Amino acid sequence: MAASSVGARQVGRRATIVCGALVVAPESPVFTPQELAHQRVALDYGNGTAYAGLQMLEGAMPREAVTTCAAATSPAERFAGLMRGEFAATVLQEPWITVAEKAGCRLVATTFFHGTWVATREVSPAAYAALLRAITKAVHRINADKRRYVSYFLRDWAGHPEVDALTPDDFNLGRIQVKEPGPIPEHEARWAWDWMASWGLIDGTFDIAAQIDRRLERDAHELAAAGRET
Amino acid sequence: MAMTLTIERVMAFMGLDVLVARDEGLFAAEGLDLRIVALPSEEFRSAAEGSPAKPITNQGKLQARGEAQMFQA
Repeated sequence: MAASSVGARQVGRRATIVCGALVVAPESPVFTPQELAHQRVALDYGNGTAYAGLQMLEGAMPREAVTTCAAATSPAERFAGLMRGEFAATVLQEPWITVAEKAGCRLVATTFFHGTWVATREVSPAAYAALLRAITKAVHRINADKRRYVSYFLRDWAGHPEVDALTPDDFNLGRIQVKEPGPIPEHEARWAWDWMASWGLIDGTFDIAAQIDRRLERDAHELAAAGRET
Repeated sequence: MAMTLTIERVMAFMGLDVLVARDEGLFAAEGLDLRIVALPSEEFRSAAEGSPAKPITNQGKLQARGEAQMFQA
């Protein structure tokens, strides 16, 4: 992410890891990501799912063969566009991956990505530590019984008939991943920056101090760990 | 006195942990009053309006104008 006008910087990995799936329509002749070379893939540029889409495509073909078009932020609209045949493929996240599978669509690739928290200078280490402790407890509860919590994916999209028709048993729990939140490894942040720059998505060189507030990140994680030990 | 933290809206696909922690009282148990704020629907812009070089994202908009202190990127 670029530096914020309010001094906001990244302060750690979040807990939920997102599954992104490259999906084609039921009648599509495409069965592998390679077959999407020079075919339009709809991406919600600027969002993690779009970056995941580029990464799935570039692993299967020369970059010059990657062909994308702008798509809606809403996965419901991307799914609808796919079913209308407006593009060859798109990237979906849950619960729309499950919706797509139930509609007969094929997943030709899946990947996972791990976003970050961004905070302003106003956030205190104590408040962020409290957030981290609560989230860590939630992670343990979710991992103890993922099926119990898939209703959250349904709740987000209540009123959409395709989602309302899903049951918790429809979900592949392997696509729902959470882990205890931790600091951002510098090599991962640098790689992400360089990768985005290689696609022309950002300009400039990587500056760790501009990207990550290491003081808040360190202090909060140390406080959170100390609180868990007492 | 509880600490207060305001974050931008999360959905289950990227913030399941936050929603579970909120609903099960885990933030309150840590002395944190976590508030979740959503961008008004009329201000929401679709990524369909964007391009790879000029993408449209709604993340961080509330933080940029001082209405949230944290968001997920």
